[in-house]
Amino acid sequence: MLETIIELVIKSAVIIGLPLGSLPIIIHAERRGAGFIQRRLGPNRVGPFGFFQPLADVAKFMFKEEVHPAHVKSFFYTAAPLVALVISILPLACIPVFAPIEYSGRPIFPEVFHSEMGIFFAFAMASLGSYGILLAGWASNNKFSMLGAIRACAQMVSYELSLSTAIVAMIFLYGTNDIHQIAAWQSGYWFGFIPKWGIFLQPVAGVLFLIGIFAESNRTPFDLPEGESELVAGYHLEYSSMKFALFFMAEYIHMMALSALFIILFFGGYNLLPGMDLIVDPFPVLLPIMQLSSLFIKVACMIWFFIWVRWTVPRFRYDQLMDLGWKRLLPLGLANLIMTVLFVYYRNQYYGN
Amino acid sequence: MGIDILLTALTVVFALMVVFSKRTVVSALSLLVTLICVGAIYFQLGSVFLSAIQVLINAGAIAILFVFVMMLINIEEIVVKHEKTKLKLMVSIFTMLVALGVFTLVINNNIETLSVSTLVDSSMKTLFQKLFSEYYVPFELATMLLLATVVAVIVISSHPKTHGEK
Amino acid sequence: MEFLPLIVFFIIANVIGIALLTISKILGIKKTSIRKNDIYESGVNAVGSATRQYDIKFFLTAILFLLFDVEIVFLLPWAMAYGDSPNKGFMVASFVFFLVILLVGYFFVINSKALKWDE
Repeated sequence: MLETIIELVIKSAVIIGLPLGSLPIIIHAERRGAGFIQRRLGPNRVGPFGFFQPLADVAKFMFKEEVHPAHVKSFFYTAAPLVALVISILPLACIPVFAPIEYSGRPIFPEVFHSEMGIFFAFAMASLGSYGILLAGWASNNKFSMLGAIRACAQMVSYELSLSTAIVAMIFLYGTNDIHQIAAWQSGYWFGFIPKWGIFLQPVAGVLFLIGIFAESNRTPFDLPEGESELVAGYHLEYSSMKFALFFMAEYIHMMALSALFIILFFGGYNLLPGMDLIVDPFPVLLPIMQLSSLFIKVACMIWFFIWVRWTVPRFRYDQLMDLGWKRLLPLGLANLIMTVLFVYYRNQYYGN
Repeated sequence: MGIDILLTALTVVFALMVVFSKRTVVSALSLLVTLICVGAIYFQLGSVFLSAIQVLINAGAIAILFVFVMMLINIEEIVVKHEKTKLKLMVSIFTMLVALGVFTLVINNNIETLSVSTLVDSSMKTLFQKLFSEYYVPFELATMLLLATVVAVIVISSHPKTHGEK
Repeated sequence: MEFLPLIVFFIIANVIGIALLTISKILGIKKTSIRKNDIYESGVNAVGSATRQYDIKFFLTAILFLLFDVEIVFLLPWAMAYGDSPNKGFMVASFVFFLVILLVGYFFVINSKALKWDE
């Protein structure tokens, strides 16, 4: 019993610690990346290349005054950042970072909560993401916050539909919903050099899922909930110091968790990147570490893509956003689904499996 | 066993809070916790899929709808103006009778049940096979019901007279 | 105790969040004033209150999402049952029939003005 608990605590600490620990690096990359894209320098004074700037920011967050405005609904106002952070962390429980390994006769699963239905669990937890925002906006008792929260909620639910159609298409295609089996399906190469990733089979579903992630994590071009030109700061307008930081962290962790799901479904999950076999073949012991690092590299690429898009694409108007979600992406997802089903059915009819 | 009792107690307590809380948003959030607890009970009974769907649909969509509406219309407190005691009493007795009927059905086990624990493999696939072979007609009827709901939502929410004036 | 991993994970996530909040609560300075605790509305005095009624379209979006989400979630068991099904033709036919019903509802929604945001 105690051993299990210790194992679980270690796993949880690692699974939560990795994204939390890489957060300062990502924030620094975001600022320097913004500077790079806009042909300016970005923060470069604190430490070499400004690497200690995020740490200085953390210290600043700690010592800042926590303004607790008089007009807020006190309990929910304090609870909202915590709810947002915890809900954004929960999907990580089902994300495997390497293939299960044998140790003293029993398989050790890398994910904290191992289940065949893990992917649904992660998706269900991700769908709760709007509660933190909704609570924050309502408890702040401020027009801007309230409008931001309502916008965020309507936007997140709209794009969840096309996300769901993409997931149904992928699960149908793989014929399984076990994350490890999905990863196993995607291992290997076509013609010896193209990785057997889902994105090559289902590019439309991939694009739908990608756009869905952007909308679910409220990133530009879908950051209407915090559009500063209209709503000042949206749902976290009345928050300061660490409470604001928790929302900030929640947004990034939500983004990372959804990116990891995206990579599991479309980019081979923890399968090795091409070329890594050369390192693993002589040293099989390194396999879990290399799998972990290939997942990490893939997520890092996704995050860089997020940053890149943020400083490239302007924000949508709200009616454009809703039209895109309901009138373009949802029918596209359904059409993609029906094409996939018919394709798989007729291929099985004529060529067998 | 202990955790079953704990979960049931939590479900009942929050369900009571849904009814008795004076603040509408608190009541809607209690509904959310109730639904999540029911999902946890499914989980405890061995069906992760059902609990995930419970969270996805009931907590992630239905409860969000309630919370959203409570926040949108911004009624702070429910003020009960007319105490129709007689009606209340009748409704309560009727509800109790229905609950008693369901309870006796479950106790006597007269209805055909499909328990997850008795399935050959726990992966729910057997259940889904049945859903798409024997129980296909009820399944399609459920989707027809959803279609009817979609139409009803649109018809109720639109005001045909005001369209021309805009 | 299949629950245990989730409970442990949930507790650790909460501990991290509460610890962060407590640290700033202890370390941060406390200097309040009436102006500072006022509603922030771009620097001017607040006009009206936040408790007002908002557009019904948000509500319509939420309820339509609920209905379509239920329909799409119906497809999940279908996708999982397809692989082992002995009668694949029936499965595909049932899927197409289901999708037709869904699309009837969808086009009804699009034709009505429920989701027209640019008025």
